[in-house]
Amino acid sequence: MESKLASYLAPRLEAEDGVAISNLFRIPGGASRETWMFDAAWRAGGEAKSAPFVLRMDPPASLVESEREVEYAFYRAFEGTNVPVPRMRWLELGLEPLGAPFFIMDRITVGETNVQNLASGPQYDGARAMIGRRMYEVLAAIHTAEWSGTDIPKVVKPPTPATCWREALDYWEGMIDANELSPQPIIRAAIRWLRANPPPPAQRVSVVHGDYRVGNFLYSNDGIHGVLDWEMAHLGDPIEDVAWAMHEIWHRDLIPRAECIAVYEEASGLKVAPEALRWWDVFTGVKAQGIWLTGARSFQEGRSSELILVAAAYSLVNRTDEAVLQSLGRGA
Amino acid sequence: MTPYPDRVLMVMAGALGALMAEVRTPFGAQTAGLSAALAGLLAQEWDRAAARLVEENTAVTGLLERARLIVTDEALHVRIDTVIARIPASDLRVSALRTENDELRGVLVDVHAAVDGVAGEQHELLNRLIWDELRESTRRRHLVTGR
Repeated sequence: MESKLASYLAPRLEAEDGVAISNLFRIPGGASRETWMFDAAWRAGGEAKSAPFVLRMDPPASLVESEREVEYAFYRAFEGTNVPVPRMRWLELGLEPLGAPFFIMDRITVGETNVQNLASGPQYDGARAMIGRRMYEVLAAIHTAEWSGTDIPKVVKPPTPATCWREALDYWEGMIDANELSPQPIIRAAIRWLRANPPPPAQRVSVVHGDYRVGNFLYSNDGIHGVLDWEMAHLGDPIEDVAWAMHEIWHRDLIPRAECIAVYEEASGLKVAPEALRWWDVFTGVKAQGIWLTGARSFQEGRSSELILVAAAYSLVNRTDEAVLQSLGRGA
Repeated sequence: MTPYPDRVLMVMAGALGALMAEVRTPFGAQTAGLSAALAGLLAQEWDRAAARLVEENTAVTGLLERARLIVTDEALHVRIDTVIARIPASDLRVSALRTENDELRGVLVDVHAAVDGVAGEQHELLNRLIWDELRESTRRRHLVTGR
């Protein structure tokens, strides 16, 4: 991998005598992409240069089947805005350089993503609430961003405010149809409920991150330094992200739920109507189950041997069913 | 006598967990950690799988027997009769019990769709019993995950 990366980067960095790759290792997590970090050193214009990078590469199979160029376009749309993202450098859709499509971005060297540290680590006791509020301010910035002049409309078709919910539900029901290894009576009941009780039209069609939660942003005691993992980004109803971020499975009570909503509403100017939030909360369970089931099938059929796919299925499918029952008012 | 698989898997889980500290790369440590966690989960699942499936297949069969008295859709009626006629099978392997479970719960999905929200005493009762069973099905699947 080092030599292939060096060959790929040399002309792009205008390296005079090759690129030295060091500290190349795979980053844990990343059930939908292989994520690698590395450092590059080279000479250009007679000067010694170096930079830290991150490589995101398609695996043979994943929790989420998504398009490389879509994720790249969403990242790029936020470069230089008040939504912190790493700078995108190169997108490669061919198989030649590394054997799979990939992109390379600058590595943000400040902060960490560890969920447990943020939730309960004493080193964050003084900053936890600030980071919690910042989380929803950044989400508001994502949702109020103007996307029409970016590359986003070139890679995804915008829904209308009235069709956001249906398009999202159709997609994830289709994923469950295609990937469930066994019947899912709770999720099927949830899908029936979602179709019978549609939410109000979206207040605006926004960029939806699609997996905005603790664990998918870099933080430190100074705040949030980078929003990561945009592989499920799309255009849709912003309340989808609010419900996802607050979902019981990964919500970590950095601040009380009511404060999450208050901070978000003030920063975005959007309203989080209870009926909309409930609809997208039930939808979150359906979507999450679609993700776990897709990963489980990939593993079962031998397209992947990533243990994280099995761990997700064993630890989260039943918890998600329980969360959906609660959301539907059918829990214990 | 050989040690039982649940005991072997639990020891493997502990060994893999201890190995985590000695693995030098973050991804390697994650792989060891996931292996440890999965060994612990599989130990629990191995011991209870047959009992859980038999219990659930019996419960869902009961619901379908009740449903065949009130479901009017002809095709669904045939499916209920067909799946009930095949169960219980004599094969107690987990794979066979799981196949039965899939067939039963597949029909249950459609029975639920046929009665959920439909007015009438029998439909409402069956709907309530199905929701009870779905709640119970999540309890049967609980695993101790360390969280």
